[in-house]
Amino acid sequence: MFLNGFIAVKEGLPYIIQGALVNVVVVIGALLLGCSIGLPMAIGQVYGGRMLRRIIGVYVWFFRGIPLLVLLFLFYFGLFSFLGLNLSAFAVAVIVLGLISSAYQSQVIRGAILSIPDGQLKAARALGMSDARAVFFIILPQALRLSIPGWSNEYAIVLKDSAVTYALGVAEMMARANHVASRTYQHLHLYIAAGLIFMALTYIGTKALNIAHNRLKIPGYTQ
Amino acid sequence: MKKRIVALVICATMVIGFGLASAAAGDKVFINGMDANYPPVSFIDAKGQPDGLDIMAANWIAKEMGFTVKHQPTDWAAIIPSLKAKKIDFIASGMSVTPERKEQVNFTKSYHQTIMMLVAKKGTDWNTEKAMKEGTRWGVQRGTSEAHWIEDNLLKAGKKFTLQQYDSAPLAMEDILNGRIDVCSVSKTSADEFIEKGMPIQILGRYGQPDDETAYAVRKEDTELLNMLNEGLDRLMATPYWQELKDKYGVK
Repeated sequence: MFLNGFIAVKEGLPYIIQGALVNVVVVIGALLLGCSIGLPMAIGQVYGGRMLRRIIGVYVWFFRGIPLLVLLFLFYFGLFSFLGLNLSAFAVAVIVLGLISSAYQSQVIRGAILSIPDGQLKAARALGMSDARAVFFIILPQALRLSIPGWSNEYAIVLKDSAVTYALGVAEMMARANHVASRTYQHLHLYIAAGLIFMALTYIGTKALNIAHNRLKIPGYTQ
Repeated sequence: MKKRIVALVICATMVIGFGLASAAAGDKVFINGMDANYPPVSFIDAKGQPDGLDIMAANWIAKEMGFTVKHQPTDWAAIIPSLKAKKIDFIASGMSVTPERKEQVNFTKSYHQTIMMLVAKKGTDWNTEKAMKEGTRWGVQRGTSEAHWIEDNLLKAGKKFTLQQYDSAPLAMEDILNGRIDVCSVSKTSADEFIEKGMPIQILGRYGQPDDETAYAVRKEDTELLNMLNEGLDRLMATPYWQELKDKYGVK
């Protein structure tokens, strides 16, 4: 019984690990997409006008308020088909996780921006910097450093969420563990293997961001 | 300041939007949506390649008829929406022909009869009559012809057993062994496979569902592909290779 389980895991491992790479690519894509939308949104929410802040607020509410599985099906079978865009399940997984992540990341960055003392912006203005220059060269370099612990959290969440994309048929790790289990009937061992790989990936990612956080820290800087 | 920020937000969103739009595939490639959890009809082999009776048959037909086939594992409950949304081009994965499905898609000629059986854990005293009684816990794969048949003909007719739906037949089998369900409705092909793989399962017999015709499904408008698959099936079933395949995968 146990031996058969280990044989199934050993034999299925290359196939499952290819799935783990799919998860990692989905997560990297989603985090990059989320950051490139989330950063402008955070700036807009802190410094933008009332209308812009309201629009961003609704966007954040939408993507934080709807379950991932609903959004995946809504975009994959509903929205993109309606628009005539025939995107692959993989592309939809990256886009949906990215859009959700952008909502969360915007709040992480927004919090970081708000934690920078107001006096810094005033000082930059007094030195003759424009508002935009002051934000980009004084506020953001500090705020983004402060966002790293939040990103580390976001990485772990998106990584785990990426397993849900198997519902669309993305050939990620959970789907592949099921494929192997359907052939070998060793569900317990294969799910344990998938869980351990997810744990390893979570550890590697959060550790890397932790190291980045320490390396990028401004020496002697306290708020 | 505000204008610049607005412009920045719009630019960033657009660049990403266009950057992610993926390119379409070339012509003469057809994607087969497969249930990757349905051995021996369609599954993933030890090397990670799609395998099974229907997969090998589709490969043969593709070669014979001069197109390229790719097999895309797809969730069974969402397989017809996937076909209609053009995520896949046809379904060669042991699909039963049902009136409801016929309204949605076109089917090729039948190449196999799917016989539905009730199974239970080995050594228990379940039989098909006892299973119909109140309190029995039935399992079934979600979105299958048997799931619809049981709902329409047994539950709606007043049978009081509970029906538990699963993503795949192997997961339902797993729950029979776990003791969460008492009996499960599966194709005879699946049941034989479970037993051959050494699962402690026994076949109780038929529970009243008529045999299903099994065929490939295509979109209503794709008559060209439908004709090509029909022609391919004709040619395949005329060769000894068809019987070899059925013997190899233990499909009667």
